[in-house]
Amino acid sequence: MRLGHVIGRVTLSQQDPAYKGGRFLLVQPFAKPQFAGASMTPLAPGSSLVVYDNLGADVGHVIGFTESAEASAPFDQPTPVDAYNAAIIDTLFYTPPSA
Amino acid sequence: MILARVDGVIVSTVCHPSMTGNRTVICQPLDEQGREEGSPILAVDPLSAGMHERVLILADGSKAREFVKDPKSPLRNIILALVDEPLKKETA
Repeated sequence: MRLGHVIGRVTLSQQDPAYKGGRFLLVQPFAKPQFAGASMTPLAPGSSLVVYDNLGADVGHVIGFTESAEASAPFDQPTPVDAYNAAIIDTLFYTPPSA
Repeated sequence: MILARVDGVIVSTVCHPSMTGNRTVICQPLDEQGREEGSPILAVDPLSAGMHERVLILADGSKAREFVKDPKSPLRNIILALVDEPLKKETA
């Protein structure tokens, strides 16, 4: 599981019936500075990704998302999902050891 | 399996039901020299690892799903061992 900032929404007109009840978020994964409290902008390096969400996260939230096979585990039917929003993060405590 | 160091902890109210009641920590993956490698990841922590403790993470979802007793859990990383010995330093 990784953390990321929700930076946008993806709206669909036609979609697989299995996606019913969820929506898609555009997420920028955290780099180390974001764990330490750096803001959403400027965006962290690395490419953003689209995450399936049925918890109701919105732009600006920090979420924990799973990727690969586990992303489709919560569905009843085999569902083509690459990344799944597993948690909306309230607080994170991050204190790396000082070098 | 991933060697990592526990660097923090997360708090989440709205989450997948399988995560409720389980401690989830932020882990910094380490290389064989103990240097930081890549961005931190999240892992379920059934062993209550201490802050900055080195741990072994299993990055295979099967054990995590077994631990939370939910075959439909999206969890993947789970801490399976706490590392006692300091990493061996290169003597060259």
